Amino acid sequence: MAHVNAKPLGGKIFTTPVLLLLAGAAIGVFFLSVRYAHGIGAVSNLSDYMPWGIWKVLNVIVGAALVCGGYACAFTVYVFNQGHYHRYVRPALLLSLLGYSFAGLSLFYDVGRYWGLFNFMIPKYWQANSVLFEVGLCVMTYICVLCLEIAPAIIEKFLHGDGRLAQLLYKFYRLLDRFLFLIISFGILLPTMHQSGLGGLAVVMGQKISPLWQSPLVSLHHLVSCIAMGYGCVIVTELMVSEDYKIESHLAILSKLAKVMSRFMFVFLVLRLSEVLRTGAILQAFTPSVDSLSFWAEMVLIFGSIWLVRNDAARIVPRNIFLGSCLTMAAGSLYRINVYIIGFHPAPNVSYFPSVPELSISLGMICLQLALFITIIKTFPIIALERR
Amino acid sequence: MKNKSRRQFVKTIAAAGAGVLAAPLVSAKTAVAAKFRGRRDRDMGMLYDATMCIGCRSCEVACKQANRKPTEYDADGIWDAPKDLSAKTLTLVKLYKDDTAQSFVKRQCMHCVDPACVSGCPTSAMVKQPNGAVTWNADACVGCRYCQMGCPFNIPKYEFDSAYGRIVKCELCANNGYLEKGFTACSKACPTGAILFGRQKELLRTAKERIRDNPGRYVEKIYGEWDSGGTGVLYLASVPFERLGFPELPEYSSARISEGIQHTIYQHMIAPILIYFGLAFVAFRNTRSAHKQKED
Repeated sequence: MAHVNAKPLGGKIFTTPVLLLLAGAAIGVFFLSVRYAHGIGAVSNLSDYMPWGIWKVLNVIVGAALVCGGYACAFTVYVFNQGHYHRYVRPALLLSLLGYSFAGLSLFYDVGRYWGLFNFMIPKYWQANSVLFEVGLCVMTYICVLCLEIAPAIIEKFLHGDGRLAQLLYKFYRLLDRFLFLIISFGILLPTMHQSGLGGLAVVMGQKISPLWQSPLVSLHHLVSCIAMGYGCVIVTELMVSEDYKIESHLAILSKLAKVMSRFMFVFLVLRLSEVLRTGAILQAFTPSVDSLSFWAEMVLIFGSIWLVRNDAARIVPRNIFLGSCLTMAAGSLYRINVYIIGFHPAPNVSYFPSVPELSISLGMICLQLALFITIIKTFPIIALERR
Repeated sequence: MKNKSRRQFVKTIAAAGAGVLAAPLVSAKTAVAAKFRGRRDRDMGMLYDATMCIGCRSCEVACKQANRKPTEYDADGIWDAPKDLSAKTLTLVKLYKDDTAQSFVKRQCMHCVDPACVSGCPTSAMVKQPNGAVTWNADACVGCRYCQMGCPFNIPKYEFDSAYGRIVKCELCANNGYLEKGFTACSKACPTGAILFGRQKELLRTAKERIRDNPGRYVEKIYGEWDSGGTGVLYLASVPFERLGFPELPEYSSARISEGIQHTIYQHMIAPILIYFGLAFVAFRNTRSAHKQKED
C-alpha cells in the first residue's frame, strides 16, 4: 500500500489557524449544550413544515458528498488502474473518514431522539422500504471500511521498534495489505449505494419538491455530482497543502484529475438539463422566483466549473484548477440545498432560513473537522512529501 | 401553478418509465391496486362531511381530552385557540370563507392507505396497523423527521420545544383505547354527525350515496378516494378541495415510486453482490499488478 512516500508534515500543532478553528468549534459546542438542554427549537429555525434544515442538508447530505474523494480516488486507482493518482488516495481517504464521521456525529444533534439512533443496528426495527434506512446502514458500514482503509497510515507510525506490539501491528499491516482488494471493493460499492440513496431520499417527498429538482433520476444526479465534488475537494486540499508546505504539487497529475472532474460535471449538466427539458419544468425557471434564481445560480456554477478547466491550456494554470474545483464543490452543494431546502415547498408561504445558533453549530462542527484534518496530516503519514 | 406542478410531476413519472431504473413506475397504479387490494374492506376510517359541520369544535376538545394534550392559548390567555395543527393539537376545525362560499374543514391525519411516512421511516416507528390506523412507536423512533418530510399533508408534528421531543400525530384513537371500543373521540363528540366513523368501504358507499342523492350540494369528488393512493379519512365538501387547503395529489402515493426504485435496484441484493464481486476481482488484479511492478 505504501507505494507512495507519505510522511507526517510535522510542525507545531496549535498554530493560529488551528486555534481560530477551535474557537469556532467552541462556539458551536456552546450552542450544542443549549440544544441538548432545551431541545432543537431553542436553537434552530426548524419547524414542522421545514423539519430538515442545514444540520441535515449541509452537514450530512452536502458534507458526505464533498468528502467522497476517498470513493472517487479509490475508483480511479483500483478499478481504472490509474496508479499515478495513488498519492491522492490517502488524503482523500482521510477527508472521507473525517467527513463521514462528522456526518454521523451531526445526526446525534440533528435527530430529536438521538439515543434511538442505535435502533439502526437492531434487526427488529429494520425497515427495508426506507431509503433513509439503507443510507444509514450503508454509511455506518462505510465508516468502518474507511477505518480499515486508513489503518495502514496510522499503523506505519508505530511500526518502528522491535516490541511485540510492533510485530503484531506489522502482521496486521501485512494482512490488510493482502486483503486490501476486498476492503476497497466495499469502499466503492457502499458509497455508490448511499450517495445515490442521499438523492433517493427526495423521491418520497413527491411534489413537495419543485419539479425543477424532483425527478425519478434524482439519485443518479446525486451520484454523478458527488464524484465530481469528491475530486474537487481532493484537488483543493492538495493545492492548499502543497502551497502551505512548499511541496511539489504535481500539476500534470492534478490537471488530469481536474479533467476527470469536469467530465463528470459535464455529464451532470447534461443529465440535469435533459431532465428539466423533458418534464417541461424548465418553463418554471423563466418565472421570477427564488426557485428560478437558485436554479440559474446552480447552472452558472456548473457551467463555470466546466469552463474554467475546459482544455489542456486552461488546465495548466493552477488558479484555474483551484477555482474550477471550488466551483464544482459549490455547484454540487447548491444543487443539494436546492433539492432539500430551496426547492422544498411543503405548503404555500413556508420559508426557512437558519438561525444564528443553528449556523454556529453547523460551522463549528466544520471548523472542528478542519482542525482535526490539519492535526492528523501533521502527525501521521498521509501526504506524499517531495519538498521543492 | 399548483395544477401545473402536478401535471409536470405526473409527466415526469410517466416519461421516466422508459428508463430501466424507472421500469416499475409505469405500473404504479396497478402496483397500488395489487398491494392494497382488500384494505378498504378491512380498514377503519372516518368520513367528514363539511356541509354538516357547524364549526362547534367539540371534536377538538374531545381530542385534547382523549390524548391529554395541553391548551394553546390565544393572546388573551383565555381561549384554547390553536391556529394550525401542532404537537399539541391533533385535530383542528378551520373556516374557509370567500365572497360566495364558506365551509368548515376539519384536519387531522388522513391515515393513508399507502402512507409515505410509514414507507420512509427508517426504524419502523411509523406503522400502518392492520385496522388501518397509522401509529407511532416511541421506542423505535430516532426523531429524524423524515416522516414529516414525506407526508404530503404535513401531518406528523415534532415537539421542537422539548429536549426529548416526540413525534405527535392523530393515531385514529388507536393509542388511547377508543378505537378498540369502536369509535374515535372526535366522531363520538360530533353533535351533527359530520364525522362518521366506520369501515372505509362503507364510508365510501355512504359518501357516494350522499353525492348522488343531493345533487348540487357537493363538489363531485370524494377527497381521499384516490388521492395519494387513497386515504382512510374521506372528505365531502361544497367548496373545491384545493381551496380548503388540500394538495392536489396523483392517484398513487410517492411511496410507490420510491419503493419501486429501491426494490428494483436492491431486489434480493443480487445487483450489489454481483457488483461487489466484480469490483473485488478488478481490484485484486490491479493491486497484484501494482505489487509486481514494485517488486520488479
